[in-house]
Amino acid sequence: MKPIFLSLAAVLSVASAAPDGKQLFTIHCTACHMLDQMVVGPSLVEIRSLYNGKPDEFVKWSIAPQKKRPGAIEMPSQAHIGEEGLRAIYAHIMDVSKGVVAKKQEQGDPFAASPTQTVRPQVQRIFMPNASPASIAVALDDMNSLCWDAGNSRLRYAWTGGFIDGFAYWKGNGSSLATVLGTVKYTEQASPFGKDAAVKFLGYKVKGGLPIFRYSVGEQIVTEAYSPVSEGMGFVRSYAVVTKVPLVLDFPAQSGVSITTDKGKLEGGKLILTPAEAAAFTLTFSLK
Amino acid sequence: MKTATFLTWITLSAASFGWTEHFTFENIATPPGMDPQVGAMDRMPDGRLAVAFHRGEVMFYNPADGSWKLFATGLQEPLGMLTEADGSLLVMQRAELTRLKDTDGDGSADDYETVFDDFGMSGNYHEFSYGPARDAEGNLFIVLGIASNGAPMAAEIRGEFSEIGQVDFKGMTTSETWGKNRGPAGRMYARVKWRGWVLKLSPDGKTMEPYASGFRSPNGIGFDAKGRLLITDNQGDWRPTSPLYDVRQGGFYGHPASLVWKKGWNGGDPRLMDVAKLDAMQVTAAGYFPQGELANSPTWPVIIPKGAFSEGMAGQTVIGEMNQPNLVRVLDDEVDGVFQTALVPMFDGSPLGIGNNRMVFGNDGSLYVGKTALSWAGSKGMTKIKWNGKPFLSLEKIKALPKGFALRFSQPIDANTLKTLSVKRHTYEYHQGYGAPKKNEEVLEITGAKLSDDGMMVTLDVGVLKEKYLYLIDMTGLLSKEGGKILGAKAWYHVVKAPK
Repeated sequence: MKPIFLSLAAVLSVASAAPDGKQLFTIHCTACHMLDQMVVGPSLVEIRSLYNGKPDEFVKWSIAPQKKRPGAIEMPSQAHIGEEGLRAIYAHIMDVSKGVVAKKQEQGDPFAASPTQTVRPQVQRIFMPNASPASIAVALDDMNSLCWDAGNSRLRYAWTGGFIDGFAYWKGNGSSLATVLGTVKYTEQASPFGKDAAVKFLGYKVKGGLPIFRYSVGEQIVTEAYSPVSEGMGFVRSYAVVTKVPLVLDFPAQSGVSITTDKGKLEGGKLILTPAEAAAFTLTFSLK
Repeated sequence: MKTATFLTWITLSAASFGWTEHFTFENIATPPGMDPQVGAMDRMPDGRLAVAFHRGEVMFYNPADGSWKLFATGLQEPLGMLTEADGSLLVMQRAELTRLKDTDGDGSADDYETVFDDFGMSGNYHEFSYGPARDAEGNLFIVLGIASNGAPMAAEIRGEFSEIGQVDFKGMTTSETWGKNRGPAGRMYARVKWRGWVLKLSPDGKTMEPYASGFRSPNGIGFDAKGRLLITDNQGDWRPTSPLYDVRQGGFYGHPASLVWKKGWNGGDPRLMDVAKLDAMQVTAAGYFPQGELANSPTWPVIIPKGAFSEGMAGQTVIGEMNQPNLVRVLDDEVDGVFQTALVPMFDGSPLGIGNNRMVFGNDGSLYVGKTALSWAGSKGMTKIKWNGKPFLSLEKIKALPKGFALRFSQPIDANTLKTLSVKRHTYEYHQGYGAPKKNEEVLEITGAKLSDDGMMVTLDVGVLKEKYLYLIDMTGLLSKEGGKILGAKAWYHVVKAPK
């Protein structure tokens, strides 16, 4: 080892200096604000158009922001940066945005024509209205769609028309729900196995693009497959239930919906099946 | 003392424009028409890459011919993936850990098996799900992000609601009154089960053990080459700057929201607890990424395989980063059995860019970086990074000493440049606020700098090391004997345990 001793100045305690707006911007702002396009918050170009010549208003807003943009989240208060620091950030923003033109905002979903979005049938997990956050949207064909909820292993509703518009969800970070493109024609308030059935979701298989959901209800193992009706509007629901006891399922009547079964009898909103019948039975839901 | 923060601006790129002399950076074309934001990646044994995208597609990329093939669709925000021996894929999505299986051999998944979904969902956008990481015994570890008060919970949730908190269920789920409730709700909250927790699952996923708590937005989980479970988290409330943790069973890792799910918890709303008490409970971070300088939102850890980069980097961990145009290399050290690290920028000042969310090494040693933004600052698509085999100067190892650090380099150092080295240190205050400025920052006098006979090792004398301080060793002016600049010119060493 050859020692090299360095003659550096004595221990320096860091002296105070004017705040560096660029550095503060990098630390506190870059995750949400870009120069020429809106990300989580407005672009620096837009901030310039709002606050140029108004540093006091900029500081005031940064300390006590409010929600003003629909579909965007409210900025957390930046009071911790301090007024001096906020003024330095203001100067930095005004400086770098000078003469910059904002990029054109994309109108509508740039990936709406994606092969994976337009294919039918389709199974897509996404946040759906009127269902739990563990929902699955299913397009059976161009006309018939439904929302199946993996959070409680049951069909929530079915609609006719188009499928979903998920852009509000996908363009952000999941802060919006998908929109149903059509008219909800059928809604189930509870699992046909009973309101308090002990269900556990086990997953699904996909056959020809259509889902076959799998779950347990107590000791029973259930598969529930969906396909479109051959004519008109509606869906076909094919079950296989492994059970040792007769099965009683609830399908309360709804106006505009006709339900038929290939096994047992559906009377007064109840379908009663022997264990042998329960092993494979199909219900057809015709919608007006 | 607050002004001390402002003196630390460092231009990372200044020392490192040399990356492109040693590495190529190539953008990989992603499938046409598809949203190319990458959420998860792994490598198949045959060298194909499995890549999961924002809108739920899982595709195989074949580096041999650049082709893409669709394997599965319809997942919700996949953010982690592991290949299995039979060719199945384990994918973590918002609602569950799923096994994708091709049972009929047609090349696409037909079975989407739910491996584990026994955790809560409030419907809040910020509840991302991460993992799995697999240990040597095959156990799987997942980690669940917590909700942001940027939005309330959904009216219909999955799982149990914790009554612990200042705002009741109605208040937590009502948009119209959220303006007044969002403050008392907490900047980030965990009112449904196991949010903010690491869960350990048996290899079959059938049994779960709550493993560790205290996480916020842990967008990176993986085992390092020595079997440590590394998790990164994001700067924010209770996070002065982004931390790197060596996660052990039973540990509490700093963000209090998750404590409401601790067995027998009776401490009330953890957010309102005495900060000193929480501070005493938390495990000190093994590393810190200084905000705005090294990383703002660190991501996934991966192990550098032998032959991929220079020899000394084999077995080290490299971590992605969303907001700064660089990756971060982890130099590990151990003092009395306590793991602590120095974090070093990698590819700073290169064409890499931002949004570096997921990474995987190809069979030929190329590093594939998958990018995303999810409406925050970021990017999209995939970048391939390949070393051209030309050696370069880098910091290979660091060891804390009772009065300084020993640094080992990849090449002999020009002794005349030792005088350019500088060392600073600072600490952070642990508090509920969003991020924290540097505290007690000071420049240290280097009282000695010894170069070993082979020129590869530098011993720096800076006085007794202080625990819970982040030391910046600035090597920007250092040159190799042959005059080469150092790539990755700064090392931030977090002293968890000071050697005696």
